[in-house]
Amino acid sequence: MLQNVLISGGTGFVGAAIARALAEKYPECAITIIDLKPPGTIHVVPHGVLFVCVDITNADEVSKAIQQVQPEIVIHTAGIVPVLSERFARRLERHVWAVNVEGTRNMLEAAKRSGVKGFIYTSTCCVVTDQMDVPYANIDENWPTQSSSLIYGESKAAAESMVLEKSCETMATCSLRPSVLCGPGDYQLVPAIHACIAKGQTPFIIGNGLNLWDVTYVTNVADAHILAAENLMTTQTAAGEGFFIQNNDPITFRAFCLAIWGQFGHTPPFEVRIPQPLAYIVGLVFEFLAWIFGTTCNLSRGSVRDACSIRYASGAKARQVLGYEPQVGIKDGIRLSCEVDLNDKDYARRIGIELPAQVFSRKNN
Amino acid sequence: MGVGSVLYYSFHPSELRSILQWKIWHNPVHERNVKDETETQKICFKFLDQTSRSFSAVIKELHPELLLPVCVFYLTLRGLDTIEDDTSIPLETKEPLLRGFKDIMEQDGWTFAGNRPEEKDRELLVQFHNVITEYKNMKPAYRAIIKDITDKMGNGMADYCRKAALEDASVKTTVEYDLYCYYVAGLVGEGLTRLFVEAEFGNPALLKRANLHKSMGLFLQKTNIIRDVREDNDDQRRFWPKEIWSKHVSDFDDLFKPENQEAALNCSSEMVLNALEHAEDCLFYLAGLREQSVFNFCAIPQSMAIATLELCFRNPALFQRNIKITKGDACSLMTESTQNLRVVCDVFRRYARRIHKKNTPKDPNFLKISLVCGRIEKFIESIFPTQNVEDAKRKVVGELSAHEAERARLEAENRQDMWFMMALMGVIVLIVSIIMIGSAWLLGARFDLAWKEMTSGNFRPSKKSLDHEL
Repeated sequence: MLQNVLISGGTGFVGAAIARALAEKYPECAITIIDLKPPGTIHVVPHGVLFVCVDITNADEVSKAIQQVQPEIVIHTAGIVPVLSERFARRLERHVWAVNVEGTRNMLEAAKRSGVKGFIYTSTCCVVTDQMDVPYANIDENWPTQSSSLIYGESKAAAESMVLEKSCETMATCSLRPSVLCGPGDYQLVPAIHACIAKGQTPFIIGNGLNLWDVTYVTNVADAHILAAENLMTTQTAAGEGFFIQNNDPITFRAFCLAIWGQFGHTPPFEVRIPQPLAYIVGLVFEFLAWIFGTTCNLSRGSVRDACSIRYASGAKARQVLGYEPQVGIKDGIRLSCEVDLNDKDYARRIGIELPAQVFSRKNN
Repeated sequence: MGVGSVLYYSFHPSELRSILQWKIWHNPVHERNVKDETETQKICFKFLDQTSRSFSAVIKELHPELLLPVCVFYLTLRGLDTIEDDTSIPLETKEPLLRGFKDIMEQDGWTFAGNRPEEKDRELLVQFHNVITEYKNMKPAYRAIIKDITDKMGNGMADYCRKAALEDASVKTTVEYDLYCYYVAGLVGEGLTRLFVEAEFGNPALLKRANLHKSMGLFLQKTNIIRDVREDNDDQRRFWPKEIWSKHVSDFDDLFKPENQEAALNCSSEMVLNALEHAEDCLFYLAGLREQSVFNFCAIPQSMAIATLELCFRNPALFQRNIKITKGDACSLMTESTQNLRVVCDVFRRYARRIHKKNTPKDPNFLKISLVCGRIEKFIESIFPTQNVEDAKRKVVGELSAHEAERARLEAENRQDMWFMMALMGVIVLIVSIIMIGSAWLLGARFDLAWKEMTSGNFRPSKKSLDHEL
């Protein structure tokens, strides 16, 4: 069904996973990856994939690549996610908008010009949930996207609405909104949580520890992209629509952290509960100190609110329209995200793991 | 009330409050009309009180339409159970009795005195003709339902007894465990559901989704099996499936040894996890009930069950003695379970969260337990959302909802009231001051001298002049 697909950001965490899933399901499909950096060893792309070095903020380069390949489906995953210390600030705003919004505009226009049938945008649940004043329990796609939240959420929301508005007879578009991702090669979530062990932060629970989150295992989000591509090539019931994609098993942030620490053989020796208001004040103090000394810091009011927030979506629409069900459950997902392959010393190094002997012995069982 | 309980309740006043609240404020939806009852009906209710502690109260508050059918249904199954439980009856006698019980129900005047004297519900079978009389007075539709379930359960029990007598009947896999629970409790759920739907007190869809009523029975039965593990084991009965306990200990008796406490706790939490999988179905089922007394009848045991699971979860006492939820908790659960589904959902969420809090990463099923609690919460959120899209949309455009606007208005009003009160106080102080200073002036107070002294820095009357006067 899928014969010629172009993936932007295809050497990244999500893009490479999509390329692998695509190559597995449609071995005959021609896959082109456009990205700034060539395929590496961390996010492996399948054999036979064409790589073109393209900067999506450069309209000409984008246009040229798409004209040349003439794909029927474009999957646009390229984008920038600010690191935690910049997430709540506005320092990177221009850069983020240039990549996430103008880059998407370039992709969209080039795709339209070269007669692409389906355009799939990798959005994020942050288009709704980055507005942190309210809890998001079991939200669905009727919830409004937020035009003023954090730079990431704002930019993705602006790009998403642009993509969905462009859906028409000749080119159907849709948008997938995965929650926080985990999986081998993830450099944001699991490494950050793992780092708490060394810093001795694991005993501290901010808030009541009962706030539920959605997490998505990376191959599940790749599957969702392929389902969306199939939909846009056939019934097009997904055209012009956004979908929340996640593992459909909300988990408390605390339990998720404990499960990850458990994978590395760590159990917090004791527990200290910090009420949210107190943590908020501490966050404020840290922000102030960072401001005085001109440094960056991961602890801030924003990160406290992140840790205490309730964010999970119903998942009903993706199930009904795309037929999406997560294939890898949370339990396996966490295990796979933390498992350190003997051959993949690189991943261990990047997440900063002193490889404990028991991880291997457990794996071999 | 003994000294112990006086002491207990003086430290747990909220429990005492719950008990009083239930005893004083609970009004049954329907009450039995004792004076119009026939002799046999009275006897049936007497047996109901004798044979069941927990169910008789809720059954007796049922809608008059279902009062007797459910009572007779209960006594019939209790009769079956009494035959099955009695190890003194040989298989040759027992098996035909169990398998033929559905026909026995049609025989006027049938009684059975073959139970050993220590069997606690022996008397029920000795006077079983009363139950049969009431059974025969029932509507044919109800009779057919009771007969069918009696047939299925009798045969299920007979199969089990045969297996126990001839080979090993211990519960091995979780599939067998579910099957066993289905025969002893799931079938009751099916029978009751058919009665409710027949009486038009339940949504007919409840019958189409068999897993819902099955879960109702299984949730209760599994909870009892978990809670009674010590008592059952002392009586040489084991219901925990080998598939689960063998992961934690090599011999079932090891669960009760203090040195294996950690393994035993992990084993019990896997049992709790297995039971919790039914919680969503139970809430879904309760949503299909249309009559208050039927709702109460179904909801009370379910709330008690989730509270009991929470009590058993990671509780070492489970393996040492019989544990029970406190009377105060039971009363507050009963009060909460006799309102509506939303309140029952709150109960489920509360206990799911408590289980979540007790969950520990040392447990091999830590993540699964966490996820099942999350699923219960998500399910409740899907039927009773705590927030809605309209409010969120209004927030984006900066508009206030009616509720918020009302609150803002009230706040503004309160602020205005406060300013008014302060101004009023100021005026009063001013008037009082004027009156006092004025009257002092009229009486000849020399404010000019006082002022002069004050401007030259003498705030107190000078000591000298005082001494001089003395």
